[in-house]
Amino acid sequence: MEELILSLKQQLIDALYLEDMTPEQIDNDAPLFGDGLGLDSIDALELIVILDKNYGIKLSSPEQGKEIFTSIHSIAEYISRNRTK
Amino acid sequence: MSGIISVTGMGVICAIGNDSQAVLHSLLNRKSGIGKMRHLHTVHDDLPVGEVCLSTEEMKDILGITGDAPLCRTSAMGAIAVKEALRQAKIHPAGKRVALISGTTVGVMDIAEESNSPHGNQCGKSTEEIAEYAGLKNAECCTVCTACSSALNAIMLGSDLLMRGEADIAIVGGSEPLTRFHLNGFNSLMILDRERCRPFDDTRAGLNLGEGAAFLVLQKDVENALAYIEGYANCCDAFHQTATSPNGDGAFYAMTGALRTAGLKASDIKYVNAHGTATPDNDASETAAFKRVFGDAIPEISSTKSYTGHTTSASGAIETVICILSMRNNFIPASIGWNNAMPDGIIPSSGVSGVNSDHIMCNAFGFGGNDSSLIIGKYPPASCSIPYEDKFPVKRVSTITIDSEERLGELKEFMSPMESRRLCKMMKACLLSAFLAMKEAGISRPDAIISATGGGMLEMSALFLDDIFTNAEEHLRPTIFMQSTHNTVGSAIAISTGCHGYNITYSQGQDSTTWAMRDARKLISTGEARTVLLCSFEETVRDGKTDSFKAECSIFSNENI
Repeated sequence: MEELILSLKQQLIDALYLEDMTPEQIDNDAPLFGDGLGLDSIDALELIVILDKNYGIKLSSPEQGKEIFTSIHSIAEYISRNRTK
Repeated sequence: MSGIISVTGMGVICAIGNDSQAVLHSLLNRKSGIGKMRHLHTVHDDLPVGEVCLSTEEMKDILGITGDAPLCRTSAMGAIAVKEALRQAKIHPAGKRVALISGTTVGVMDIAEESNSPHGNQCGKSTEEIAEYAGLKNAECCTVCTACSSALNAIMLGSDLLMRGEADIAIVGGSEPLTRFHLNGFNSLMILDRERCRPFDDTRAGLNLGEGAAFLVLQKDVENALAYIEGYANCCDAFHQTATSPNGDGAFYAMTGALRTAGLKASDIKYVNAHGTATPDNDASETAAFKRVFGDAIPEISSTKSYTGHTTSASGAIETVICILSMRNNFIPASIGWNNAMPDGIIPSSGVSGVNSDHIMCNAFGFGGNDSSLIIGKYPPASCSIPYEDKFPVKRVSTITIDSEERLGELKEFMSPMESRRLCKMMKACLLSAFLAMKEAGISRPDAIISATGGGMLEMSALFLDDIFTNAEEHLRPTIFMQSTHNTVGSAIAISTGCHGYNITYSQGQDSTTWAMRDARKLISTGEARTVLLCSFEETVRDGKTDSFKAECSIFSNENI
């Protein structure tokens, strides 16, 4: 799980252009959207691309993403339960 | 009758017909043109679309074009619609000053994507080809790129040119074919429904893309016309590149602005052809705006995208033709595909016949919040309150050019790293020159924003196109697509300054900036705006990356500021 979390953080930094951040600066349990990290709807779509491309998980709508993308921890848990690659 | 804009001809080609009569027939018979893809080649061929029932080869035959050179579908559909409009108007362009104004964002991308080379996507080229194929070789060409409101803005620009005496005949509209480029772009934004679209329905899950073209012939002071242009407004939601504001600010400003210029009350409008794309976002936001404009007395509203699909840049003209057809044939087209009311939603029209509509409103809203609204009338209007006369002097207050990478770091002064993180170099250069030009002029927000570019966002277009080829149309990045359209710069400046005013992007090769300048001067001299920000930009690309770029922003103002 630790390995998955670290890899996920690095993917977020790359795909969402969080160039000034390091994985350590992203809290595992802090909210990613709104008041937390401050991500927006385009970031949610980019996260859906990561899930599909790297873990073989297909989401059918951005709505579905909202429940999964609450924190790094929640994404990692969802991936470990549902990954097909 | 003086100072009236008359519609003397119209032509249309879309999924429900290759001319106006065929489109009328489909609307009256509630026959949708959305169905299985036949002409576009893509791995996403399971998506329903509103395709024109002609191959590009068949269009070539209709237009009498010979030779083996590939024909751009934008140009072909555009020429077919222009020719129909010219036949109806029975005009003789010889010796007259003719302006051909087309709205398109895809431009010649259908040809460019065949060879994976976006460098050739000069939107203006398609308009020049339309002029050539339609026999208008001496027409002055202009191309407007404001995404899905492009064609409606082309109609407004043509009306302005006629009122100001800068043209005798304006042929205005738009053309947009289906391409893999924007189909994949919309797919990356997850706004395409795999079923038929359901505008204003609680179960709506996105739009179906469509294609087509429509053009109107506009002339000044012609009696017994098909319809009259009564009022219009171009505003900006200034909220987000791809999302709409929850309370529909941009849509509200566009609709109320159109009513104001037409000198009409909301209750005078009998029918609204909504933008109504059937995305969860648009329909919620447009509904909120309808309630703000019309209160409890909501007029008949329908979205004819349930017939044509969303024809993006062409939609404003196709739907204006539909409005004129419904006005002249005394009916209101039914919104099809609707069954379930949205909470607090509107109930779209189930179709009305034998109805007399003197004033009809047509909405077209584009990505980046480029929102426009047009009102057409059955009878010549008594007056139009859009200012046309030059009253104020025009002064260029400041000009800033950014063309070196070293300077891009200065953007930190104006935007947080979180706000600027996704921006490509071209976008950063444009925003930086805009902020610096405003700073020098001593303003924090212009009244209007005008952009000009021949080639547009080349790096982002090249990247997205390359991803389409490399990844077989899978895993495409929305961040790249949303920065690939010509109007993305004008929208980004509006979003960062909170500017809800007039917002337009011109693309006509070398003449792009000349058109933009002409518009900026008009806005200032007529008093429509006190300050205008004009942003010209171009970039070159090598090996898929920005090689050189230049962004130049100027602030224009009248001296009395």
